[in-house]
Amino acid sequence: MIDIRKYEGMAKVSLSETERNWVSSCAELLLKSFDELEKIDTDAEPLITVLDIKNVFREDVASKIISREELLSNAPEQYDGYIQVPKTLE
Amino acid sequence: MYRIVLEDSIMQENKPVTAGSKILDKFVSPLTATVVNKLLDHGNTIVGKAKMNEFGIPNFFIDGSIEIPEAIKAVSDDIADYALCNDVFGQYRQKATEAGCCYIHPTYGTVSRFGLIPLVSSMDQIGVVCKSIPEGFKLLSQIAGSDGHDGAMFPEKSYDYANTKPSITLGIPEAIVSKADQETQNAIKDFAGIFNTVCMDLEYFDVHKQVMMILSSAEISNNISRYDGIKFGYRASGYKTLDDLYIKTRTEGLGLETKLAAIMGAMVLSQNQYAPYYEKAMKIRRLIKESLQFSEYDIIVLPGSISEDSYENLSLYALPNLAGLPCVSFAYKGQCIQLIANVKNEKILSSVWEVCMA
Repeated sequence: MIDIRKYEGMAKVSLSETERNWVSSCAELLLKSFDELEKIDTDAEPLITVLDIKNVFREDVASKIISREELLSNAPEQYDGYIQVPKTLE
Repeated sequence: MYRIVLEDSIMQENKPVTAGSKILDKFVSPLTATVVNKLLDHGNTIVGKAKMNEFGIPNFFIDGSIEIPEAIKAVSDDIADYALCNDVFGQYRQKATEAGCCYIHPTYGTVSRFGLIPLVSSMDQIGVVCKSIPEGFKLLSQIAGSDGHDGAMFPEKSYDYANTKPSITLGIPEAIVSKADQETQNAIKDFAGIFNTVCMDLEYFDVHKQVMMILSSAEISNNISRYDGIKFGYRASGYKTLDDLYIKTRTEGLGLETKLAAIMGAMVLSQNQYAPYYEKAMKIRRLIKESLQFSEYDIIVLPGSISEDSYENLSLYALPNLAGLPCVSFAYKGQCIQLIANVKNEKILSSVWEVCMA
């Protein structure tokens, strides 16, 4: 069975033993199916977007879509007009 | 004018929106999606929101079967005339026909995604659940068109879905149709008999589902990384450090299929796996798109199902999302048929219904 604990850490989730076994078995099934890709000769550039578009910059003019109050209204914890988070610096 | 139900991933200002996830519990949208504003400007009424699988990820592996989404039930039960949904994995196209409805999936980049909670950014496209294809195109014409808030769109401000081509040629991938059950094969044969047909081959069909799974899990893991309990949504309690907050919040707030997608995404994007999986899948995606020969046919016909296994059936629904193509699904003689057209050629799909239902 694949050891997925490294990827749990990357995804910032923690699975129970039962969940880990299930996810590992699904991952194994998927990775086995991904072996089919090796048969394809891919002499091509990766396709990042299906649209034939170029990056376009808008005018550098500030616009207000959402107010500070509206943004803070969804914050799980707030203090004195700021989103409150755990200490990040020692 | 019309009653509309929105899948709960489409935002309305000052109304809760959860995308079916605990991690957006108590989140109130600060904005209204462009498609909703357009619908309201046309005099339509939003009658409600439909429950959905978490972020629109179907239960491929939990029990292997996919249920009829609530948005489709709302239309089939006549609670609404239409529903708007984001059909990345084909569950709306597949299940609409079981409930006596149709589904229209527009060309990628023709309908604004502003105000849609993203799932797979290179494939997300708001489509329409409807009772008939012509009715669905009436509504689509109200919501399609460029939007300054969505940078990945074609420039056209509106689209005319009236078909002017006098005759239609269907491309029939015989090798794929032959995998469907006999009733479906008979229905497709009867359907094809109404039009000109050519036999064709979908060259990379055998890897459609793998490419879809790799690219979608990578983009899903990226899109759900924003759900960290910091700025909005659910935040777990009892954390000690910042990292602890992230892990507890996402562990408690996300469902198992979403965690699978996040972990698979982390895997295919990791240093040693990026080239053989993600980069390879992006290259095959280009080959898939370039292999299509819409000069020889107008529409590709695909069955609704070739297996009891939902993951196997994903191959049938991946092409429009991988190549950004429009498609419709409807029941013909009781069987689900999917029709795929070239980019911005929805108009050819709009006329097929009138011809085959006449």
